[in-house]
Amino acid sequence: MIYLDSAATTLQKPAEVATAVARAVGQVASSGRGGYTSSARAGDICFQCREEVASLFHVPEIDHVVFTFNATHGLNIAIKSLVHVGDTVLISGWEHNAVTRPLYGIEGVIVKVATGTLFDREEAIISFETQLTEDVNVVIINHTSNVFGFILPIEEIADICRRRNVPFIIDASQSAGCQHLDFEALGANFIAMPGHKGLFGPQGTGILLCSDVPCTLIEGGTGSESLRQEMPDFLPDRLEAGTQNVHGIAGLLEGVRYVRRHGVEYISAHERGLIRRLGKALGQMDEVEIFLSSDPRYQSGVLSFRVNGWDCETLNGLLDQQGIALRAGLHCSPLAHSSGGTLETGTLRASVSPFNTPREIDQFVRILKATIVKY
Amino acid sequence: MSYYLIICRSLTYAQRTASALEKAGISAYMRRTPISISRTGCGHSVLIQGRYITRAMEIISRTGLTHLGVYTTDDDGVYQEVSL
Repeated sequence: MIYLDSAATTLQKPAEVATAVARAVGQVASSGRGGYTSSARAGDICFQCREEVASLFHVPEIDHVVFTFNATHGLNIAIKSLVHVGDTVLISGWEHNAVTRPLYGIEGVIVKVATGTLFDREEAIISFETQLTEDVNVVIINHTSNVFGFILPIEEIADICRRRNVPFIIDASQSAGCQHLDFEALGANFIAMPGHKGLFGPQGTGILLCSDVPCTLIEGGTGSESLRQEMPDFLPDRLEAGTQNVHGIAGLLEGVRYVRRHGVEYISAHERGLIRRLGKALGQMDEVEIFLSSDPRYQSGVLSFRVNGWDCETLNGLLDQQGIALRAGLHCSPLAHSSGGTLETGTLRASVSPFNTPREIDQFVRILKATIVKY
Repeated sequence: MSYYLIICRSLTYAQRTASALEKAGISAYMRRTPISISRTGCGHSVLIQGRYITRAMEIISRTGLTHLGVYTTDDDGVYQEVSL
């Protein structure tokens, strides 16, 4: 199989990840619940993972690194902490349903969309400048589109938010681990990310970086302040009710170590290189329409495309039969497809990781060409 | 031998405290806070040898870590709060 769906989850992980999970399953109990060795070991894993994450994303206080079950979980905490009934929220035109659905679920929320032309960062900045009016209570920015790989100018948008004193949330689902992300410099109230994509952790892991003390999404035991019925008012305990996924966190720790060892710049360059190679090859096919940035710096390891005369799901099914794992459809992001002009058709999406090779890209292109001709 | 138990508000705080002390060369051990001296129920503490307490408190103060109290104990398991 040629796996090209790393924007959904990275299937290929560093070998250390699976080893760490297996070891943890056999040796690690619940973090913070006992004084015995296997519980202490669990606590050590969580602490080391928080330290690695804090270093990677420049988080001054490691307590503000909170474990979640995925990015959606973190986004829900962030959104429900900052957005209240009747608020006005400004979002980018490239948001995932993980942002738009929680907003839809809060009564009376008015959503303004700062949209613009795909891959036009200047237009995105102007759109946020213009639409960030006094009525806006919260801003939510997708760092990188999961559909098109468009890297939004978050530094500039964050600067606008800070200057106007508007709280903001960053969805780093597609960027964490493969693009530079500096929590302290950005000054975001929250940054949410999955563990299972660019950080190479197992599924069921995620991270929320917090500068505020948020509302709780769930309440329960934390192993601290047991006499109180209110949830602790400090992080990370406030958000980590119930037994944590320490087995998953053990894998995530090794995934984050892998990223730090290889460097975000290396990973980003490798992925960009593969996408340019794919874009160049697909661009030579008359039947194929590709969504490729003219400036490679502003597209991540994600490329959407459509094939003339083909339903994307049908073509994807045929490719699947030949060992190509792509993602087709709307990618849980109808807003992004609407902004990109592909809502009616959806797209096929190829997304890569450091474990993909140029040879795999060439092989995929050969199979795609043959499939289109054959059927 | 006398020991000091530094009571922390959470596991992560206790870990940060122990880490800061270890980095300064002070052996620090994570412990569950004895329920008899815990004011809030379950919690976590850091145990150090008595001779390090002055330097440990300086380090804790310098790193901006807070604690919920400090207790002294001998090998008899009796804890007594101290003011430092």
